[in-house]
This record gives sequence, structure tokens and C-alpha cells, in this order.
Amino acid sequence: MHASSVLQAHSRLDQPIVHLTIVVTAIMFAILVLVFFLVVFASIRYRSRAGMPEPYQNFGSKKLEITWTVLPFLLLVSIFVLTVITMGDSDPPPTSPGGADPSPDLIIIGHQFWWEIHYPKAGVTTANEIHLPAGQRLLTRLEAADVIHDFWVPELSRKMDMIPGTPNEIWLLADHPGTFLGTCAEFCGNEHAWMRIRVISQSPQDFTNWEQQQSQAASVPNNPAAQRGEQLFRTMSCANCHAIRGVSSAEVGPDLTHLASRETLAAGRLENNPVNLEAWLHDPNNFKPQSYMPNVNLKPDDLTAMVTYLETLQ
Amino acid sequence: MSEVPVALPVLRKLERFEKEAGMLSWLASVDHKQIGILYLITALIFFIAGGVEALLIRTQLMFPENRFLQPDAYNQIFTMHGTTMIFLVVVPGLLGLMVYLVPLMIGARDMAFPRLNALAYWLYAIGGCLLYFSFFAHDAPAAGWFAYTPLSEKPYSNLQGMDYWALSLLVIGVGTVATGLNVIATVATMRVKGMSLRHLPLFTWMSLINSFLIIGAMPALNAALVMLLIDRQLHGNFFRPAAGGTPIYWQHVFWNFGHPEVYIMVLPAFGIISEVIPVFSRKVIYGYAVVAGSTVAIALLSFGVWAHHMFAVGMGHFLDMIFAASSMLIAVPTGIKIFNWIATMWGGAIRFTTAMWFAVAFLLMFTMGGLSGVMFAVVPIDWQLTDTYFVVAHMHYVLFGGTAFAVFAGLYYWFPKFTGRMLSETLGKWHFWLTFVGFNLTFLVQHNLGILGMPRRVFTYPDIHAWNVLNFISTMGAYLLGVSVLVFLWNVIRSRRRGEIAGPDPWDAWTLEWATSSPPPVHNFDYVPPVRSARPLWDLKHPENPDWQRGGRTRAHVR
Amino acid sequence: MSAEFVHHKNRVLILAFIFSESIFFAFLITAFVLYHGRSPDGPNAHNTLEPVKTGIYSIILWASSLTMWLSEKSMMSFRFEHCKRWLEATMILGAIFLIGQGLEYHGMFARGISIGTDLFATTFFSTTGFHGLHVFIGLIVLLIMRGLTGAGFGQEEYQREGFLAASYYWHFVDAVWVAVFFILYVWGTR
Repeated sequence: MHASSVLQAHSRLDQPIVHLTIVVTAIMFAILVLVFFLVVFASIRYRSRAGMPEPYQNFGSKKLEITWTVLPFLLLVSIFVLTVITMGDSDPPPTSPGGADPSPDLIIIGHQFWWEIHYPKAGVTTANEIHLPAGQRLLTRLEAADVIHDFWVPELSRKMDMIPGTPNEIWLLADHPGTFLGTCAEFCGNEHAWMRIRVISQSPQDFTNWEQQQSQAASVPNNPAAQRGEQLFRTMSCANCHAIRGVSSAEVGPDLTHLASRETLAAGRLENNPVNLEAWLHDPNNFKPQSYMPNVNLKPDDLTAMVTYLETLQ
Repeated sequence: MSEVPVALPVLRKLERFEKEAGMLSWLASVDHKQIGILYLITALIFFIAGGVEALLIRTQLMFPENRFLQPDAYNQIFTMHGTTMIFLVVVPGLLGLMVYLVPLMIGARDMAFPRLNALAYWLYAIGGCLLYFSFFAHDAPAAGWFAYTPLSEKPYSNLQGMDYWALSLLVIGVGTVATGLNVIATVATMRVKGMSLRHLPLFTWMSLINSFLIIGAMPALNAALVMLLIDRQLHGNFFRPAAGGTPIYWQHVFWNFGHPEVYIMVLPAFGIISEVIPVFSRKVIYGYAVVAGSTVAIALLSFGVWAHHMFAVGMGHFLDMIFAASSMLIAVPTGIKIFNWIATMWGGAIRFTTAMWFAVAFLLMFTMGGLSGVMFAVVPIDWQLTDTYFVVAHMHYVLFGGTAFAVFAGLYYWFPKFTGRMLSETLGKWHFWLTFVGFNLTFLVQHNLGILGMPRRVFTYPDIHAWNVLNFISTMGAYLLGVSVLVFLWNVIRSRRRGEIAGPDPWDAWTLEWATSSPPPVHNFDYVPPVRSARPLWDLKHPENPDWQRGGRTRAHVR
Repeated sequence: MSAEFVHHKNRVLILAFIFSESIFFAFLITAFVLYHGRSPDGPNAHNTLEPVKTGIYSIILWASSLTMWLSEKSMMSFRFEHCKRWLEATMILGAIFLIGQGLEYHGMFARGISIGTDLFATTFFSTTGFHGLHVFIGLIVLLIMRGLTGAGFGQEEYQREGFLAASYYWHFVDAVWVAVFFILYVWGTR
């Protein structure tokens, strides 16, 4: 996994923030160097030596006081102007051609400790991994199901809190295809650390295909092991929390209709492959201690059947 | 001249009592010096507790996917670390210095309300114990020191930890307000004749302004806590979205307290620096009126900047801009002070005692914390960097590099006054350099962690090479910082018994606390020298060149 | 050594305290204003509060500020008997106000309205409850003052200053009620 730097932008919306950050950091650094120099210089030049008399008592100078009040003030005024400009560039208000309230292209709902994702226009529901058409900005509504979360993908956009009862909106955009990592940035409880976000930007054609595939119902298992897995999914407690379109419709945990098509498991905790899936189901607590995914104590062959079934959910 | 009629016999009785009762006298004392020491010792004990918590945090974060602590334990520990350091260490530690020094600096016998003073201390001590008792109830609070609703509400924190947290902070908060009121009354009414507000030592100025901040800010916290408790205990609806309440109101009320609180934790540190730098530079403070006046500006502005903690909440650009402007504005009076302190050193004859080392390091470290603070007033930068390790770095540069360094400077400076003995300068230099290196090792790299996208308050992190390296360095720095505290403790314990005898005025200083013996007698002064300027002892030592002969207004005042 | 203003320390303390307490109340009242109109279905200011009835009790409370002022004037001019009588009158008026508030609460409890019922109830009971608590504490302070004046308190200047401090506190409690009454009962039910 790689770090997502605040100083890198992969979106036209984030670019102004990166520029501003560099400019302001440079200014702050220059001031810091000035203060360091003055302090160190004074410390060396004016240290006391043996037999030195009391130095001249200087009570201050109005001229100097005014200088170091006005100069920083002017500097801050110019930083403020840059701030205001950048705010507009990086976080434009939601607009629609007709002037009516635009409807969101994407709804993301923060849960303890995963992300529920809807594409209302295509009727797609998924979890934890967000697909974007490269170069197109999506109006994204951010909500929370329980406590406050915060949606943050450093290389794409500002962070924005998800507050229960008060939806927020941001534009989500990636200029080109690629995978961008983010994380929940507001402390939300025990597994706050493992609320990772994965944004997958694709060419518009690939994105349409993906949307097409995600809007299908779950595939029906066609071999005995997978069929037994589906049976187990219905009869054990899984179906109480997880939706698989055509099988169950609960909304407590992530939608699993197309689980096998995702890159990671458990909100970015593990790479999605059969071995990890089996390990995860065998003991979720080992990977995400104190999350709400229970250990349902599957017997070894039941576990294999369950993994076989879930792996069919392309 | 005009004394409170009962004061004298009471003081005599007190004096006898302190002699006869020995250790027991500490329990019943209303003497501001004993209470000040009690504050400092209690804060030191909690500092050790909070420090151990910090080391546990850093140990857990030493490696990616570390299994040293479970998430709930980690969350309890970082919540307790923040709560402890803010409410049980920094604020009461500074209050301890204030109640010890302010009466001495203004030539008074005690605080205006000695019993209220004692009550406030004991509320703090009991409140602190109440908070730590939550560990024995198997559930320390775990919603962070800021306790954002609804995470801190019953459905998401259903054990008793949050209730302990809220109750203990209420108890401590009442005590803190009491001390704030007391300091205001003391400075307003107990100053020795001749000590006009223009002659107050700067530490006293800062303490006075700080007290106004306390009495203005703590009620917001108390209101927030009361609302939280009503929600939790009486099924209230203040912050319940389902009933129409909004969790954002908590944030507004909390930060109405929380941001002035930052200045409550910094202003007395400014006061310490404004005493230490002049004395060891052998120069009068540069721009006395500007230093005091800029503090008033900070205090007033500090009530108008709270929502810069909430730029990620989605308040809308207009509000964001207003709070960005006010937050940038507050940097101006803060910057003024830095330049005034440097100007005080300029042309001086600087004696590099341990106190001065810490004070000079304060200038550098606090400037770093202040400048990274300005970056958070730049809204889009805040949108990226808030709630990352960059904030952790920033606030530790302010509170450790700033306040803690200043308090260490103050302790090396005033320890002789408190105990009659000097702290060891050799151990002091060790302490300083270990602290300086350990501190920067721990927190400098956290700026980079934030820029590389590491969120704060995570009990672990994925295996990302850059994060691994930086976190490991940070943890090593924290251990070094732990060692430095041990050196300091050893210095205190050793010097208390075997330190060099200090005498009344070991630093050749200028404010009234140095005009009496070390430690001062119960009644503080046998004789208070005449006060005609902010440096009465300078005037006494330099009759050829007294402060009151300078500057038109002061001269007129004397004639 | 002498401090010139030490006699005023009680006054300074209580004024600073009042400033601090006002801020506490400001946040509770703000909560009421912020959440006003968010309880359309449950009990709310319109269908629950009775501004006229409470108005009468309010006038009684404000009248107690007048009697307190008279008591304080008497104290300052050494007419201690007057001081005691006016103090007693103040306490009676304050107690009547508290009884009125008790009756109001009782009526609401009888209709099944308690602090957790809805946002209105939460903000209403919190604000008025904390005010009531302050009135109650004020009554205790006045009771202590009555005991002290009975025992010859008031001869010394610092004692009279102490009395003044208690009086300031009582005026503050009444002033808070001005805000509470006009915001909760008048603005809230308009």
C-alpha cells in the first residue's frame, strides 16, 4: 500500500489546494527561518561575559512595534485573499443546469466501521470501494448512519464530515484512471483505524460497464458447494445483516451482492482473495477486533462452502 | 493602613499551626504558597500518568498492525492522555504557579479568598481522582477529550466512562472558575500601594487576563457537560439527531470553551517567558505595554475563533471565511510577542542558565507551533490536514514546545523561591537537551505523517513504508522524552534535599517575590519595598538609574 | 504593606462570578432558541407554556429585586431593622416564585411531559431548572444573610460589602429570568 500525500493532486479540484499549501508553507518556513536566525544570533552575540556591566535598558520603540504589527498583518491579508480564492476553486457549490437543487450522483453513508455506497441514478448499491468515471465530477452526498465520520481522499478533494441528520455535499473527481486511497478522518469508535476508502477511477467506458454489472442481481450458484454456502448464508445469522440482492435485503452490514468483484475486504483491511476471505470469516476479530462483524463459528467444511459461494458473487 | 480586621490574628494562628502540624498542615492549609505547591505536585503526578499513557500510545504505534493494545484500550488511553494533560496537568499546573506567585508579585499576604483557593484545589484533586477512578470501573472514557456527540452519547458509549469524564470535568471546572475569580479579585483589590496596573509584573498581567479567559470559557464547557449528562442520564435530546437535535451544537459549545482553553494553557506560559527572558538577558522587557496589550487582544479574539475547529463540518464558505479571518488575526498579537521577546534579548547580557535555555527553546518551538497554526486558519489547508497527525504535531509544538518548555523555564527559575534551594544546573542541562531532542524527534516527523495522509486517533495503521519509518522515529523520541522526565524528577528530588542554598534573590531579579526570603514566611513579607515601576527591585538596586525616571507618564506619576 | 481596594473584594468576586454564570445560561437559552420549532408534534412552547400565569410569578420574582434593593439600601445606611424586614420580604417573594415553578412542573409531569419527552421539554426543563436551582441557592444565601444580620452583622464595612455581594447575586438571578421569560414564554409562544 502507498501513502496518499496531501501534496499530490489527481483532480482539478484538489490542484489549487496543493498550490496553496506549498505557497503558505513556504511563507511560514521563511518566517520560521527568520525567527530562528534572530534567536540564535541574539543568543550567541549577546551572551554575557565575565565582568560585563548591566546592559543599556531599552524600553522599546514605537516604530519597531508598529513594523512588526503591520507587516504580519499585511502578509495575513494576502494569505486570506488566496484562501478565499482557493476555497471557491476547490469546493465549488453544487449546481445544476436548470438552477434546481441538483440530485446527487453518488451517496456515501458512513457506518461504524464501513462505507455504504449508492449510485441512485443507476440503482447500484455497493460498499467501501467507490468507482468513478475519470474526468467527470460526481456530486456526492455524504451522510452518516450512526456517529460522525469524515470522508477523506487526500489526492482527490477536501475532507468533509458525515454528520447524522445533516447531509453534506462535495464534488468527487479524478482526472485520470487510477486507484486513490483515503480514510475516515473523524474519530468514530473502536475500528476508526480500519475505515479505509478506495476510490477506483476508470475510463468512462469501463465505468459504465462496471455500473452495468453492479446493477445485476446476484448470480445464482450453480455447483453444490456454492449452493450449500448460499443455504448457510440464509440460515445462519449472515442474512440478518447483509444484503445479497435476490437472497436477503438487510442493511446493517455491507451489501455483498457483488462482493467478489471488490479489491478488498472489510473496508480496506484485507486484499480480497479466497484465502483472506476464509481467514476473515473464520475469525473477524483477528483482523478487525471489536467491530460489529461477529464470529459465527462456521465448521471447517461450512466455511469452505461459504467461501465458495461468496466467491461466485462477481 | 487599611487591613481586613481579622487578617492579622488569623495569620498568626496559621503560622503557629503550620509549624506545629507539620505534614498535616498541607491538608488543611489555606496558605496560597502551600496550595500552589499542592497544585504543582498533583499536576506533576498526573503528568507522570499522562506521560505513561503517551508512551503506551507510542508503543502501540511503533509498528504497523501492532497488537500491543486492543482498540478499546487504545481509545481509552488516548482519551485519558488528552483529558489528563489538559485538565489535570497544564491548566492546574499553571494555576499552581499563579496562586503561588501572584500574591507575592503584587506584595499581598495571600489570595483575596484563601479558603476559596483551598476549595478550588481540592475540587481539582478530587475531580482528577474521579476521572482516574473510571479505570477501576473497567471503563475509562473512550470518546476523545473532545467527546463529540453522538459518539459520546449513551447508544455509542453505553458504559460509565463518559459519565465519569463529564462529572469529573464539571468538578474540576467549578474549581478552575473559582480560582479564576479569586485571581481577579486578588489582582483587583490586593495590590500593594503604588502598584498600578501599569506596574504589574507581566506574569501577573497574563494571570489576570488568563483568569478572565477562564471565567468566560469554562461555563461553556460546564454547559456542554450538563447537556451531555442530561442526554445520557435523563434521556434528554440535546444532541440526538432522531429527536431533531444536532450533534453540531455540541461542537459549537465545546469549542466555545475549547479554543479559549488553548490560550488559557498558553497565556501564563507567555507570562513566565516575559519574566525569565528579561532577568537572564539583564534587560527590561521590550515594549511592556505592547506585550500586555497584545495579550488582551488575544484574549478578546480567542472568543471569536472557535469554529476554525469545524471547517470540515460543512458550515458553508461564508462562516468558514469569517472564522479564517479571525483566526489569522489572532496570529498578529501572538507574533508581536515573539518579536518583543527577541528584542529583549537583543543587546542584553544573556546568562544561559537552564531556565534561559528552556525559554529560548520556547521561542523556537512555540514559533513553529504558531506558524503551523496559521496554516490551519487557511481553510483549504485545514480541509486537507485537519484530523491528521499534522494537527497532533502542531498542538504538541504549542502545548509541549510552548507551554511545557515555558513551565520548565519557570520551575528552574522559581524552584529556589519555592524551596530555598537551587535545582542542579548540571542535571538541568541534561534535562534540557534530552527534552529538546526527544521532543523534536517525537513530533517533528508527525508533520510529515499528516502530510502523508495518516489520520489521528487511529489505534493502528496499514503497512505503508513511509508511515512505518516515521512512526518508529516518533516512538523512539517519545522514549527519550520519557527519560528526560526521569532526569527532571531526580533533579527535583535531589535538589529539594541537597541543592545549593538559594538565598532570597539568587538570580538578581526585579519583581517583588524576590524581596522576601526563600521560601517566603507565611505572611510573605516583613517589608515590601516601595513600588514605583514594574521592576521595584531594579529601582532598589539601581538608584542611579531607576525605571520610574524613564518615560514621561511614569515620571509625572512619581512627582 | 497595604492594599487600597481590599474592601471591594467581595464585590469584584461576585461581579466576575455573575459574568461567568451568564455565559452558562447563554448556552442553555441558545439551545432553546436553536431547537425552537423542532418539536411540532410533541409538547412545545405553544401548546404547553402559559405566559400569563408564569408572568404573574415573574412579576413576583422581579418585585423581589426591588425589596432586595431596599434591604441593601437599609444595610448601607445602618438601618438594620429595615434591612431585615426587606430581606424577609425578598425571601418570601422568591419562595412564592419557586412554588409557582413547582406547580408548573407538576402540571407538566401530570400530562406526562418530562425532560426526555422531546427537544422542547429538554431545553425547557434544563433552562428553567438551572434557573430554579440558582433561585434556591439565592434563598439559602439570603437565609444566611438573615441569620447574620440577626447576629449583629453589618457594623464593619467589609461585612456590608459581603451583604452587597449577596444582593448582587439575587439581582442577577432575577435578571436571568428576564431573559428566560421573554425568550421562552413570550418569544417562544408568540
